[in-house]
Amino acid sequence: MRSYWTKRVLGAAAVLLLVIAANFFLFRIMPGDVVSTIVDPRFSPEAKERMREVFGLDLPLGRQFAVYVRRMLTFDFGISFLSQRPVWDELKSRVPNTVALLGSALVLSSALGTWLGVKAARKRGGFTEKVVLLSGSVSFSFPSFFVQLVLLLLLAYTFPLFPLRGSVSIPLPQTGTARALDYLWHLLLPAGSLVLLGFGSWAIYVRNLMVKTLGEDFILMARAKGLPEGRVLWNHAFRSALPPVLTLFLLALPGIVSGAVLTETVFSLHGVGKYLLDSIMGHDYPAAGAAFYILGLLTIASNLAADAAYALADPRIRVGGRVQS
Amino acid sequence: MRKPPRWSFMAFLLILAVAAAGPPMLPGDPGRTMAKPFAPPAWSGGDAPPPFSGAITPASREITIDWKWDAPENLTLKGQLAFDEDSPVRLVWTTAEGGSFTLASFRGGSLWEVDLDARDMAFKTGLGIPPFASATSLLFPGRGVQTLSLEGPAPSGGSLDLALPGGRWGLLGTDQRGRDVLSLFIVGVRVSLLVGISATLLASLLGLSIGLTSGYLGGAADALIMRAVDVLLSIPVLPILMVFVGIWGKGLWQLVMILGLFSWMGTARTVRSLALSLRESCYVENLRSLGAGPWYILYRHLLPEAMPVVLAAVSLGVPGAILAEAGLSFLGLSDPRVISWGRMLHEAHGFGAFTAGAWWLIIPPGLGISLICLVFLDMGRAIEEMADPRLKGGGGR
Amino acid sequence: MIPRRFLSLILFLGLILQGKAACADFDVSSVKGPHIKDLYMVIYRDPDSQMLALQKGELDVLGDIARPSDVDRLASNQEISLSISRGFHLFFMGFNLRKEPWNDRTLRHAAAMAVPSRQIVRDIFSGYSEPVDTYLPPVSPYYEPDVTVHEHDPAKARQILADAGWKWSTEGTLIPPGGDRPLKAVKLLSPTAQVAPTTAEISNRIAEALKSIGIPLSVEPLDFSSMISRLDRHDFDLFVMAWSLSRDPDSLFAFFHSSMDVPGGYNIQGLHDPELDKVLEELRWAPDEKTADGAARKAQRMLSDISPWIPIYSRYMVAAVRDDWEGVVSTRSTSADNLWTLLNMRPLHGGERPVMWCLPEEPRSLNPLGTSSAYDWQVLALIYEGLIAVDPETLGDLPWLATDWKVETVDGEGGPHTRLTFTLREGVRWQDGIPFTSRDVRKTLEFLKEHEIPRYYDNVRDIERIDTPDDHTVIVTMGNVSYWHLHNIGGSPVFPAHILETVKDWESWQPARETNPSVKELTSLVGTGPFVFREYRPGEFVHLVRNEGFWLLGGD
Repeated sequence: MRSYWTKRVLGAAAVLLLVIAANFFLFRIMPGDVVSTIVDPRFSPEAKERMREVFGLDLPLGRQFAVYVRRMLTFDFGISFLSQRPVWDELKSRVPNTVALLGSALVLSSALGTWLGVKAARKRGGFTEKVVLLSGSVSFSFPSFFVQLVLLLLLAYTFPLFPLRGSVSIPLPQTGTARALDYLWHLLLPAGSLVLLGFGSWAIYVRNLMVKTLGEDFILMARAKGLPEGRVLWNHAFRSALPPVLTLFLLALPGIVSGAVLTETVFSLHGVGKYLLDSIMGHDYPAAGAAFYILGLLTIASNLAADAAYALADPRIRVGGRVQS
Repeated sequence: MRKPPRWSFMAFLLILAVAAAGPPMLPGDPGRTMAKPFAPPAWSGGDAPPPFSGAITPASREITIDWKWDAPENLTLKGQLAFDEDSPVRLVWTTAEGGSFTLASFRGGSLWEVDLDARDMAFKTGLGIPPFASATSLLFPGRGVQTLSLEGPAPSGGSLDLALPGGRWGLLGTDQRGRDVLSLFIVGVRVSLLVGISATLLASLLGLSIGLTSGYLGGAADALIMRAVDVLLSIPVLPILMVFVGIWGKGLWQLVMILGLFSWMGTARTVRSLALSLRESCYVENLRSLGAGPWYILYRHLLPEAMPVVLAAVSLGVPGAILAEAGLSFLGLSDPRVISWGRMLHEAHGFGAFTAGAWWLIIPPGLGISLICLVFLDMGRAIEEMADPRLKGGGGR
Repeated sequence: MIPRRFLSLILFLGLILQGKAACADFDVSSVKGPHIKDLYMVIYRDPDSQMLALQKGELDVLGDIARPSDVDRLASNQEISLSISRGFHLFFMGFNLRKEPWNDRTLRHAAAMAVPSRQIVRDIFSGYSEPVDTYLPPVSPYYEPDVTVHEHDPAKARQILADAGWKWSTEGTLIPPGGDRPLKAVKLLSPTAQVAPTTAEISNRIAEALKSIGIPLSVEPLDFSSMISRLDRHDFDLFVMAWSLSRDPDSLFAFFHSSMDVPGGYNIQGLHDPELDKVLEELRWAPDEKTADGAARKAQRMLSDISPWIPIYSRYMVAAVRDDWEGVVSTRSTSADNLWTLLNMRPLHGGERPVMWCLPEEPRSLNPLGTSSAYDWQVLALIYEGLIAVDPETLGDLPWLATDWKVETVDGEGGPHTRLTFTLREGVRWQDGIPFTSRDVRKTLEFLKEHEIPRYYDNVRDIERIDTPDDHTVIVTMGNVSYWHLHNIGGSPVFPAHILETVKDWESWQPARETNPSVKELTSLVGTGPFVFREYRPGEFVHLVRNEGFWLLGGD
């Protein structure tokens, strides 16, 4: 077990390095001259040249890279070209919003999707299955921003149940509890819409897996042994269908991260995704690299977690003795 | 037991037919301006006027308009008149309520170029109304006969054309540039189909071959490929698409390539995990001990086993690619010259159709995308069920 | 029938209707504010949510409304007043004059006649923009209307080309005089539709128009910074661009003087015209306003003949304020979202309540030394003030932290110099209670010059010496002669000397996060201005409160 973990962590570290390298080079092959994004028409050519020196864009590429790796590992992302503030300072305030949005959306949609999927598989042709298949397809086939814009228009403007923007009310509520509730109230529509858009594919996938698994011999065996149906369903069938579900979790993750860019745009949320978008648009290399890196870190961490769960859930994978034959 | 083919297959054929035959059958270039911007569909009721045009010529120096509707959105007056006589001329508008406005005047004696548009600030200023007021509401205060007449000496030649754009248009209205939404919608279906199908085919082929190879070979190759997959998976798709679109440009085929190149990993991983557990299974071990070569096992046993997974990937993949195209377009990262449904939504959003309640700009492309996605999902499911009848839902179709 | 709410509109284009003149004459000296206590600058980045929030009442003031459909919708909303003003903005298409065939003036004139700017403005802005023919926007006090106008007339365009010996190939492409080869296909560099949908649209219209007279042109959409780098390298044929200008016409020097034709310089089109250079030098180094005005007008007339650009339009600035506020200030040259409105506005009914003001972008750093973001300055301009302010109506100079000033040309070593003498207002205090004196002005100018801070360096580089004979007099001697030194020095914000002394690294300075050395409740972001910085919550808002010690409130 230990060697498995060493390997996985080393692998993750390698991925990390590759992500850093990819970030570094991707942003440097982007077209354009960064000086042009921060100049004012009234600056003289000398003033422009001075900007270039001030931002250290004249160092050789190799040295720029070495510095970059060390900085990434110490979370020292440098100074944003656009704001001229430390990037981590700017990102810090955004990470909690994004984690809250992604976390709640991911957990809620996977939980709801799994539960509905299993239920649908249990009662073939039942009402739940119909609902799952229909709502799953519908929610999976609408463009997310379209649904979100319509929801925003309906629920925040026409019937103003939810706020139009942001994650706090202005002026701020006075007490801590009120602020927490206020935050949740602001989170409800964006996260809710992501759940609405996300649970369908989960449910269908889980249902398909479960249908398959429920037909396996060992389920018939378990049933024959007279085990209660709930236990058969969850302890036997679902447990054996878990690894592919975890794969789905992994696959869904970057997609949901990408969805964050759109969600944060639609709901004017102050998050990492929106920051990434703005930085890419503004050719703000340090900022975009850092935001990319943070999102990559989140994905790598979740990857590791899912790997662990995968190993625990599917003993058929002979962890230690794999390959090397 | 034979049932009629599923609805989705029929719908797919219908969509294909529209995509193939629709655009050539359109009466003209879909980029043409047909009516005023944001004109609602003709059938949506209300009291908006039809288009009107008239001319002032040496023969007819007056246009009378029997107006029975709300004020038109705009009024344009263009053309030229030649005058021999050296005395002043004026264009006078008389409303049904008896109000009288001078729209333009000329000293006479030569060629008079007229180019008036009721949206011009100078036009509003000339009528003495504030910049945000509508000049046409002043000129069309109520129902009845309004007249435009030329006062002064008779022109010796030329003509002036008066045009009032209609307030409603076609089956699906017009967009922010006054283009016919129905035409755009029909043209747009091609792009969605093209992007969705080609990108997914590319991605599935890549995913299948890489996944099978990796899962079956195992060892260093597997480790290497999976690391590569990890790296690609660790980078959120949308941002990397944005970066690549920035470098490669926004052409349609670039988009297809990029979408294909960055969406095979899911299939590869799933196929690989399947291949991995199959590889460990008894019957493959048995085959191997019987001396079956790796390609034989891959081709005869792993590939058929992986097929349902791949088909699931396709069924989810086409909508995925279509939605990715829509998302990129929504962020403005698509070729502005190519009309796609995603592009239509982007423009509708960019020009304020959502807040303006211009539903005819939003609903058709939005529902169109969803419908295509639903069709592919259902087809995918049907194929899946054929391959693996256990999945067949009791009533779930 | 004109709705009543238009009565609050301040008129423009010289249109003064009866009964409205009283509103139009805005008297700056009547302002004794601010009356509001709390100001929230709320960050709404999406135009849709800005519109919804304004209509829902979550926003009180929204500036810079660009979409015509929004303008029309707000115009029919009974709870909202709109104001319109001309903007210091110019959109144009430029030629690369270094290359064939664009060095041919006749071709440029014909191109100018082929482009239907008026129709473009109608179709794209529904009339909420102004077609232009000159090289300064019409709002500029130095605007010269009497120039050579290349009226839209494609037939005449073809005529003058034919007269100059141009021919057309069988495909309709132009053949230069004396040659037999048609023009090669050329590209018009344009920002992409994603960054600037209207600009991309205009580029398409221009390309169509120029194709119609035989120029084989197509649009090449580029992302903004690759476009800039192509322009910097002079690797282009034609380009479209918009500039936001200041009230001073010396931008003409930057855009058209031959010395500015260097890689990355502002003379992108590469104009070299010795006669024009002379006039532009006269403008740049004018000793007084009269000379400057004459030179600016002459330069505009010459430019309209040379046609290095095809000027297309200048934007109108449209701003909306909810009707439950009174005292909103807008003029023909300043839309309602300005400092004067903030100084003058109060709720129409009921007691004091906070103003919700739209900030369309995140402030970048709130570092007055480091930032060049316009959105930072929307906030910072409420905190820091200059010696001279700009009159919202006439755009003339207005006494502000300086009550009086003198511009002289004096002789010294190496020729004549401009000498500026400012008399400072008495009784002004920094928001942390420390008196404002000539020492602050001196320290500010010295700091900006010594650290070569890019945003201000062009303004202060020519300072030769600064004298402060007493607490309320500052004498700035420049190294050369130019009337614009007055605006460059007088318009720069003044920072408190006692804070500047604590700044170690101006680039990463974060005054909003430092505790004020004298008053614990405040930050180092203190100025003399009407509002005091309270809190910046990234992604949400910037909260400011009234400066109870603001000098304009003194009389109350």
